[in-house]
Amino acid sequence: MREILDIFFKKIKLLKTLFIFLLITFSCFLKPSYSKDFNYYEDLVKDWIKIFPDQNRNAAGPKFFKHILDKEITYQDFIEYNKLYCAVSGSLISPNSRPDFVYLKSVENGEKICGFYHKCCFPCSCDLMKYSQVKNMKHKFSDGEKEFTVLTIKNPCGKKDFPREVNRNYFCNGEVLDNNQVVSIDNRLVIGLLHNSSKCNEQSIAAIDKDEYTGAYCQLRNNAPLEQVQGGMGDIFIKMARD
Amino acid sequence: MVIKYLLKFFLVLFFFVSHNHSKADFFKDITSQIEDNDFRLSYGISVTDVNQDSKYEFVVTGFGFSNLALTYQNGKIVNINKNEIFDDAKRKTIGVAACDIDQDGFEEIYFLNTDTYSGEKKYSDRLIDNNSDSFVDLFEKDINKKNLNLTAGRSVVCVDRNGDGKYGIYVANYGGPTRFYELRSGQILDLAEQLKINKITGGRAVVAGNILSGKTDIFAANERGKNFLYYNSDGYFQDIAEDYKVDDQYENGRGTTLTDIFYRGRLDIVTSNWNGYHRAFVLEDNKFRDIATPTYNIPTRIRTVISADFDNDGYDEIFMNNIGEPNKLFKIKENGFFEEINIKNAYEANGLGTGAAVADIDDDGILELLIAHGESGMQPLTMYKADIKKDFNYLRIKPLNKFGAPARGATVILNSNLRKHAKTIDAGSGYLCQMEPVAHYGIREGEKNISIDVVWTNGLLETFNVNELNKIIEIRQK
Repeated sequence: MREILDIFFKKIKLLKTLFIFLLITFSCFLKPSYSKDFNYYEDLVKDWIKIFPDQNRNAAGPKFFKHILDKEITYQDFIEYNKLYCAVSGSLISPNSRPDFVYLKSVENGEKICGFYHKCCFPCSCDLMKYSQVKNMKHKFSDGEKEFTVLTIKNPCGKKDFPREVNRNYFCNGEVLDNNQVVSIDNRLVIGLLHNSSKCNEQSIAAIDKDEYTGAYCQLRNNAPLEQVQGGMGDIFIKMARD
Repeated sequence: MVIKYLLKFFLVLFFFVSHNHSKADFFKDITSQIEDNDFRLSYGISVTDVNQDSKYEFVVTGFGFSNLALTYQNGKIVNINKNEIFDDAKRKTIGVAACDIDQDGFEEIYFLNTDTYSGEKKYSDRLIDNNSDSFVDLFEKDINKKNLNLTAGRSVVCVDRNGDGKYGIYVANYGGPTRFYELRSGQILDLAEQLKINKITGGRAVVAGNILSGKTDIFAANERGKNFLYYNSDGYFQDIAEDYKVDDQYENGRGTTLTDIFYRGRLDIVTSNWNGYHRAFVLEDNKFRDIATPTYNIPTRIRTVISADFDNDGYDEIFMNNIGEPNKLFKIKENGFFEEINIKNAYEANGLGTGAAVADIDDDGILELLIAHGESGMQPLTMYKADIKKDFNYLRIKPLNKFGAPARGATVILNSNLRKHAKTIDAGSGYLCQMEPVAHYGIREGEKNISIDVVWTNGLLETFNVNELNKIIEIRQK
C-alpha cells in the first residue's frame, strides 16, 4: 500500500515539474503582447545597447526607426515608439514629451507638409525643418497595412565630409545605404516619423512661423553660418543631411 | 496747393485708420470692473445663484485663499460672501460645481478641496447648502461624516442620472476611487460602487450631458489612463470609451466641453490634453472621430476649455485657457473648421491660468469671460468680453426643471433656416469649472424661423417657438 502511495506521489511530483517546465517554455516563446499598460520607453531603454552596440547614438534616429519597424507590432504601437527618440540627434525622449508643430518639404513635389515632431531640444526641430524632407511610406503591421509620413535625408554615404562623430557603419555599406540596418526609400535615408501629418494650410504655416522657437529662433539658427551653429547636435546632423 | 492738402489729409486719415486698426481686438479687457482684485491662488470657477436672487454669481475657488461669490453691482464685480464656511480660506479648494441635490429649486455648491497631488488628503470636500440665509456644509453633519471624500481630486460634475431632477455629484478623484454622491433621506451616500463607476485613475476633467443615450451620459478625461465614456442605461452606467474610440489612453486629459461642432443639433466632445494633441471628437457611424487639425490640435499647457458664442455672430468660439503660455481662441466655422483668431486681450502671455468660466453677469446680452490664475504663482483674476462693433441679436435660453432649478445636463437646440445648433446646460466641470446654466446664442445674419427644442434630462423633447429676440427666455419643465 505504502509503495503504491509513493509511486502516486512521485508521479504527481513529476507532473508538477513537467507542468512548470511547459509553462516556462511556453512563456519564453510568447510574443510581447504590447498590452494597454505596456511601457514603450522602458522597452527602448532595454534595447538601447542592441541598437547601438558601440554606444554612439549621434544622429542615429534611423537606427531607432529601423529597430521599431522590425518589431511585430500594431500601428498604434509603432506611433507610440516613434514618440520616444529624436530623429535628428538619436537621443531618447522621455514619455509624454510635447512635440513641435513643424513643416517640411515633400520630396515628391516640394509642397509644405505640416505635422508634429518629438524632439529632444528645439535646435533639432530647426535642423529638421531645414535639412529633412518627407515622403509617404507603407508598411504592414500586425493589424494591417498603413500609410504614414516619414522624415528623410539624402543618402549621406557618399559624403567626403561625413561627420566623424557619427558611426558611418550604422548607415552605410560602402556608398550605399545598408538596408539591414536602416530603412531607405528611393535612396533616401529614413530618420524618423512625422506624426499627424497633413498638407499645410495658411493658418498652420503662420502658426509655425510665429512660434517663438519654430519661428524666430529657427530663423536665427538656420541663417547662421555653419561654424557658428551651436546647441542641439551642433553641426553634426547638418553635415550629414545637407546637400 | 490742393494736392498738398489732399496729401496731408490722407496722411492724417491713414494714421487714424492704422491706429484704430492696431487697437481692434476680439476681446476688451474689463478686469478693472473687479473690486478688491488681489493677487491670489485661484482655481475653478462656477456660475450659480449664490444668494437666491435669480441672478447668477461667479463662484471663484481659492487655494488657501477665500472662496469668492462675485456678483455684478452698479458696474462693478463685487464679492458678496460674508459666510465663514463658504469663504474657507484655510482649505485648498480647486474644483467647484453647483446643482440642486435636494430638489428645493436652489443649487447646492460642491467645493472640491485638495491638499495633496494624489491619494489621501487631509481635509474633506464641502457640500454647501444655502439654508435660511446661512450656509451649511452637509458633510459636517454627523450622519454624513462616514462618507467624506478624503482622496485628492480635481473636477466635479452634476448628474441627473434618472432624469427626475435629483442630481448626484460625480467626483473625479486622483489616485483613489471615483465618488458619486446623492442625497437620500437626508443622508449623503456614495453610490459609485453600486453604479460601478468607482474606478481608480488620475481623474482630471469630467462633463455630463446628452452625448449618446438621450439621457445624461458622463465623459471623464483622465491622466495616465484611459478616458471613460459612461453610457446611461436607466440610471446605471457602462464604460464604452474604448468601443467609441475616445479612450485616448496615451494622452493626459484636461479641459473638456460638449459642443455642436457641425451645427447639426447634437453634442460632440471637445477635449484637450496636457502638452498633447487637443481633440474634437465627432460621432460618425457609432464611433467618434477626431477631426481636430492644426492649428487647433497643437499641444499646449492646457487647463480649461470653453465653447461659447462670445461675439454673438451665431458661431461658437473655443477658448483655450493655458497656464504659463498664451491662451488661444478659435471660431468653429462650417464643416468643423477651427479658424484661429489672433487675440491681444486675453492672450495673457505670462498668465498662470487655472480656470475660467462664462456668464452674462451684467445682463447686456454679451458673455463675460472670467479667468482665474494661480498654481505656480499668485495673480489676480482677469475679465474680458467681446468688443462687438456692429449691431447684434441674441437669444438666451434658461431651462428650469420641474423643481425650478437649473436643468443642468439638458440640451437646448436652436433650429432656424441656417442651422440646428445644440448647446448643453453645463453640468460642470470641463476642468475644475462650470459655466452659467443658460444656452446663449448669437443670431446669424439672415437667420429666421427660429424655434427652440429642449431635451430634458429624462430624454423628453419639447419645442417652443421664438417670437422675440434679445432676451432671456425661461423655460420650465412640465
